[in-house]
Amino acid sequence: MDGLMFSLKKEDDSVQLDDFYDVVVIGGGPAGLTAAIYASRAKLKTLIIEKEEIGGEAAATDMIENYPGFPEGINGHALADRMVEQAKRFGAVVYYGYPTNFDFSSQPKTFQLEGKTISAQTIIIATGTSPKMLNVPGERELKGRGVSYCATCDAPIFAGKDIAVIGCGNSGLQEGLFILKFVKSIKFIEFLPTIQAEKILQDKIQAHENTTCFVNHQVISINGKDRVESITMKDRESGEEKVIPAEGVFIYVGLIPNTDAFKGQLKLNDWGYIVTDDNLMTSVPGVFAAGDVRDKGLRQVATAIGDGAVAAVAAEHFVESVQQKKK
Amino acid sequence: MAHIQEEDRNYLTKEFEKMVNPVKLVFFTQKFECQYCELTHELLGELSELSDKINVEVYDFVENKEKAEQYNIARIPAIVVEGEKDYGIRFYGVPAGYEFSTLVEDIIDVSKGTTTLADETKEALKKLEKPVHIQVFITLTCPYCPRAVRMAHQMAMESELVTGDMVEASEYPQLSNRYGVSAVPKIVINENVSFEGALPEANYLEKVLEGEGASKKS
Ligand SMILES: Cc1cc2nc3c(=O)[nH]c(=O)nc-3n(C[C@H](O)[C@H](O)[C@H](O)COP(=O)(O)OP(=O)(O)OC[C@H]3O[C@@H](n4cnc5c(N)ncnc54)[C@H](O)[C@@H]3O)c2cc1C
Repeated sequence: MDGLMFSLKKEDDSVQLDDFYDVVVIGGGPAGLTAAIYASRAKLKTLIIEKEEIGGEAAATDMIENYPGFPEGINGHALADRMVEQAKRFGAVVYYGYPTNFDFSSQPKTFQLEGKTISAQTIIIATGTSPKMLNVPGERELKGRGVSYCATCDAPIFAGKDIAVIGCGNSGLQEGLFILKFVKSIKFIEFLPTIQAEKILQDKIQAHENTTCFVNHQVISINGKDRVESITMKDRESGEEKVIPAEGVFIYVGLIPNTDAFKGQLKLNDWGYIVTDDNLMTSVPGVFAAGDVRDKGLRQVATAIGDGAVAAVAAEHFVESVQQKKK
Repeated sequence: MAHIQEEDRNYLTKEFEKMVNPVKLVFFTQKFECQYCELTHELLGELSELSDKINVEVYDFVENKEKAEQYNIARIPAIVVEGEKDYGIRFYGVPAGYEFSTLVEDIIDVSKGTTTLADETKEALKKLEKPVHIQVFITLTCPYCPRAVRMAHQMAMESELVTGDMVEASEYPQLSNRYGVSAVPKIVINENVSFEGALPEANYLEKVLEGEGASKKS
């Protein structure tokens, strides 16, 4: 239990839902929280709905080193807590729940939450992404039995064990550094012939003697009866198959957008990301998308919060124009 | 060195002004072979300094066996958050990391004697007939865990039949092994129902009812 700290959440969870909002933000990650800060500060009645835990993917990241303003880096959860405090200060309300039955066809837009119909002048979708599965035999069966997608959650359970990390992108290596605080050794496995992660991360990993890296290797299966015991992988050059022992496997092989709830109502790209214009408006006027969930080049906290700001200001203009029409 | 930072102390002093009735933190410890007992003890001491409504009672797990039995304490370090009565709220392992907030929120709830659970949940819990033991396995760096623990503790407050344990998985490897914990939060209900991950309140409740139902049959 390295770096044991006492982290304090300074927010109140109990909220009363209303029937109508100017802005409803779906998803409480960095993009959604930033949108809520801007919208509520502009005196728009703002609701954030989060299905799991506020902070999104960022809150599950131990150390964010490239977000400006924190020269020593900042724990993702602590960063998210600050964003929530800021949004609440301006009056935004956070509600934990799972919204369904979105209807974007009329103005205002509507959806269901806990059996209640809620109307919103504008909706900002900031639902982010989920980790992609590797899709190999054993992965689904052993999920929660040694297969994990959340290092900050599960790494302490593998204290003193030999584990594997699949995927040597930025996420894999960044999380690898956290996992190394607990485990005995890590074997990194990368499908491509070279490591994709930033050089600074590669150097940090290599400084640990208990790490080995296999590039150009394809994972064939994750093996074990009730628990992960080993991984079978294939050397893509020689074709040779190897079995390596591992009691845990952390998988970081990419992302899938959380857009199922909006399929058929909004224009998505071939990979399911939401397509937006320069003001982050989607194919439906009054519905905006911000952060990792939209079609864009770089998915980071720094770009997510930029999106949140742009979408909120565009939403504000939209609300103004609707009000003007009414007059 | 103080564990609770200056800034947080100020915040907590204010937060604890919300307290209504006194709260007793009943702490079970042991002198040897307990890595986090001392740290937990120090933390509770610091908390109690922040409000005269918070009192700490310390018992040795071995020497005060009857007390341990009275509270049905299974292992150490253990904390019972007790208000007007013992609601069945238990912390096994140090409530550090993200679980520190869980302890603080529990103290305030217990002091007020109220929870923020939905009315439907409270109603359903009133209808329980059999004891329900909810064990929530967590790690201190897991962002999804505090909500799962709070849910168990609030349910314990709403029903005399419910006991809610936070269990820090890495401090009790044998217990974690027994329930096959390798992802958290893992919630085990009455030995026969379990699930992983953060479930919304309504779904969490369903699992609790399922766990009660399963033990009714047996
Ligand atoms: C392992 C890892 C390490 C990373 N490291 C860094 C780093 O070092 N630096 C950096 O800048 N970035 C890093 N990133 C990327 C960064 O975390 C993301 O770019 C950022 O979190 C995106 O923010 P977002 O708000 O768009 O989405 P997310 O953070 O994904 O938040 C989306 C939120 O929406 C919620 N949600 C989803 N669907 C629904 C629904 N239907 N209803 C309600 N709520 C819903 C989710 O529960 C989630 O809380 C990392 C990512 C990962 C996975």
